[in-house]
Amino acid sequence: MTTVNNNHYDVIVIGGGITGAGTARDCAMRGLKVLLVERHDFSTGATGRNHGLMHSGARYAVTDHESAKECIQENMILRKIARHCVEETDGLFITLPEDDLNFQATFVQKCTEAGISAEIIDPKQAIIMEPSVNPELIGAVKVPDASIDPFRLTMANVLDAQLHGAEVLVYHEVVDVIIEQDRMVGVKLRNNHNGEELDVYATVTVNAAGIWGALIAQMAGVKINMFPAKGSLLIFGHRVNNMVINRCRKPANADILVPDDAVCVIGTTSVRIPIEECDDMRVTPEEVEELLAEGMKLAPSLGSTRILRGYAGVRPLVASDDDPSGRSISRGIVTLDHEKRDGLAGFITITGGKMMTYRLMAEEVTDLVCQKLNISKNCDTATTPLPGSEPKEETKRFSFSQKAAEGRHGTLDKEIESGDAASDALVCECEGVSVGEVRYAVTKLHVHNLINLRRRTRVGMGTCQGELCACRAAGVMCSDDKSAQKAINDLNGFVNERWKGMQPVAWGDNLAEAQLTATIYQGLLGVDKLANERRIEYYEI
Amino acid sequence: MRFDVIIIGGGLSGLTAGIALAEAGKDVALVSAGQSTLHFGSGSLDLLGCDDKGNDIYKPIDAIATLGEKHPYNKLEDVSGLAGVAKQLLERAGIATTGDANVNHWRITPIGGLMPTWLSMEGMAIVQDPDQMPWKRVALVNIANYLDFPTKFLAAGLRERGVQVDVKAVTVPQLAQLRKSPTEMRSTNIAKVIESNDIINDIADKINSITGEGYDMVLLPAVLGVASSENSKKLLSLIKMPASYVATLPPSVTGVRLQTQLRKRFNSLGGSFFPGDQVIEGVFENNVLKGVKTAKLDGTTLEADNFILATGSFMSRGLKADYDHIYEPALGVDVDDMGLDRKTWAKIDVNEAQPYMEMGVKTDEKLRCLRNGTAINNLYAVGSILSGHNSIKLLDAAGVDMLTALQVANNIIK
Repeated sequence: MTTVNNNHYDVIVIGGGITGAGTARDCAMRGLKVLLVERHDFSTGATGRNHGLMHSGARYAVTDHESAKECIQENMILRKIARHCVEETDGLFITLPEDDLNFQATFVQKCTEAGISAEIIDPKQAIIMEPSVNPELIGAVKVPDASIDPFRLTMANVLDAQLHGAEVLVYHEVVDVIIEQDRMVGVKLRNNHNGEELDVYATVTVNAAGIWGALIAQMAGVKINMFPAKGSLLIFGHRVNNMVINRCRKPANADILVPDDAVCVIGTTSVRIPIEECDDMRVTPEEVEELLAEGMKLAPSLGSTRILRGYAGVRPLVASDDDPSGRSISRGIVTLDHEKRDGLAGFITITGGKMMTYRLMAEEVTDLVCQKLNISKNCDTATTPLPGSEPKEETKRFSFSQKAAEGRHGTLDKEIESGDAASDALVCECEGVSVGEVRYAVTKLHVHNLINLRRRTRVGMGTCQGELCACRAAGVMCSDDKSAQKAINDLNGFVNERWKGMQPVAWGDNLAEAQLTATIYQGLLGVDKLANERRIEYYEI
Repeated sequence: MRFDVIIIGGGLSGLTAGIALAEAGKDVALVSAGQSTLHFGSGSLDLLGCDDKGNDIYKPIDAIATLGEKHPYNKLEDVSGLAGVAKQLLERAGIATTGDANVNHWRITPIGGLMPTWLSMEGMAIVQDPDQMPWKRVALVNIANYLDFPTKFLAAGLRERGVQVDVKAVTVPQLAQLRKSPTEMRSTNIAKVIESNDIINDIADKINSITGEGYDMVLLPAVLGVASSENSKKLLSLIKMPASYVATLPPSVTGVRLQTQLRKRFNSLGGSFFPGDQVIEGVFENNVLKGVKTAKLDGTTLEADNFILATGSFMSRGLKADYDHIYEPALGVDVDDMGLDRKTWAKIDVNEAQPYMEMGVKTDEKLRCLRNGTAINNLYAVGSILSGHNSIKLLDAAGVDMLTALQVANNIIK
């Protein structure tokens, strides 16, 4: 972990989601002295709990022109700078017999106005392009949607921030803000691993804490009226579709199916929840039913495909009216200069927006930070590739795990030790994760536990949901007796975390798999008895 | 085709019933879909390890009185007697074990825990009293880069109990060859390489040369002896110090051996084995099962005087859960779903006792299955498919498998 060398910074960025990571990168690239703080792990909030969809913007074309335009611009940028995080799948917007086909013309026109290429496809042709699509479709439009790995994207931004001198503290939570007269001069942090507190100071503090940003603002005596909109999603056990499938109608529940790596994801629902519930969100049986029923309308084979797990995220929308679902709130970017707005200097909040527009959000807020610091330096984040996405060197990769690692880390895979028996030993067979990759993640990617490791390497994300690989990885990660106990606790926590996603969909093969996992971890290994700490970290779900 | 008894399911319960009936002179057929839960075994068989609060049980036979009324042990005439019969049945199949049903001993888990158990296969490391470890100084010797034997956890667990532990690793060129394909570095593959290359002596030499003197126990991963205990015994005998095995992560070589030897015994007794097939339908007539149809024997009905359903729980596909109910897929017999639906059959904390674990088929006092509420006169259920107990929390899986199988065999023979 990076240590705090000198506790005064130009800018402190609060929040290790994609917005915070992107902001830290931009600030660092413009030469600022940056500290990025995150209370848990990277991408534990909305960043890690969405579709993994790289919107073309088409979804918002009709209802929110500004967001649509931002989406397509950023979409084109991310294809270049985050190549190793993106899969260029394209997407379809389909019209079903129950939908109004007249909407299609408006949709295409609005897409075109926003600069999104939208091509009407003959339904028969659409079935050939995407065989899983509902064959009853009466219309289809092809758009440049794509699939993106949010964990990888966040990590790449963090790595680049570090390469440009930023310091990073994970598991450090802002417990208070430090205000002198009418200026925020720093924050009080608590190390969530050992409870120690430390004060850090900065000329400007950027609040990029997503929905939790409302609570940070509250500490500073500033009110931001957030609208926590919970969205639930289901992951299926294999990749049913190769193109993103959307419904060609106004945005509604469960109308996007995204292929991600070896799986696919249907979502989302949208329901307002109290902010206190944001740390402990669960997918309800009713949401599962709705997601499944609507999902089958996009791709009927979902009905016979195993659901791996369910999860829920919360959109950091800024409330404007009494919309009960939050669907009509703009996905637009909200930058709040609290000096102008509330008379509190040195404090800026960046919120609203979408994962898709994180870079633009970072650019906007960094521009404002630079203005406050009287620095004039242009933003280069739109043209500089992220670490891992630099031009490819000619490499010869033979093994499954080497190829898999290249897929996950792009050109950074050269930092993974391989070629000897110890490094090449395979930890996770489903995802092709080697001992070398686990060690790389632990030393370079801020990995403190198995759940962190899962986010960096996909260990335990396959169909077995961590049957054996979690235990192997825990063994690789621990170094002495003291860390062995910690690793056992970690292992038990990991098994529980995986179960939390499976429990709402515990029938069919999932229930069989759950029983097998329990037979191995509890019956054979006795991990539940050996764990001496039963802390359930809801935010780690 | 007609038999005295047809058994559906080739795991521990089905094979136990098959052997017991064949030993009594019955003409038995066994239909097995394939892999069984023995592949996830520990090298030990549990009878009753824990009470419902998770405390270790020292005297299992005495503790049976405290079990819930739905527990399958309540349908056994003489638990202690059947436990003795089970041990002898294993012995005759070439599976020597230590332990008895009156007093539990403890097995060492692959991550260094101690768990109470009934019978341990020969060569497995056991502890008679968890408060008094039998060794002062242990050499823990792994196969180099074999990840399914987490020595750091094992060492930490033993040290926690006051044992001095040195962790070491050995390898031989033939295993290095195996490692070129990393997915191959699994217990059963290691066993195959060692056994087919006849390199047990080489491995013993390596172990002897790196351990030296001064250990009162050498602990090894249980990766030898897929077909019989001959090779696993041979390695132990070649090591200069006392040595024994500890279970690995699955697949379990000792579990595969147990299954192999039980099958061999069943075959040698003249039993008919239908591997890789599964029963898809039963032909019922007036509360009697006349015959069963299988997926592979197209159109042919297998007939018998008696039938035993031993297809296991959810993980063995003996039970299935769909979106809104639990059912038994082979014969459609009645299931005890405890009145729960999918919103309640699984609890949020994985460490809590999960209600679905106690679901299974309903049986009458003679362990006969029910269909539409009525007992089928000649259809019995044995093993993990039975309702009324949580085998993961109680650690009673092997006991329920073997003892219900033996009880049903007795019921049929009578």
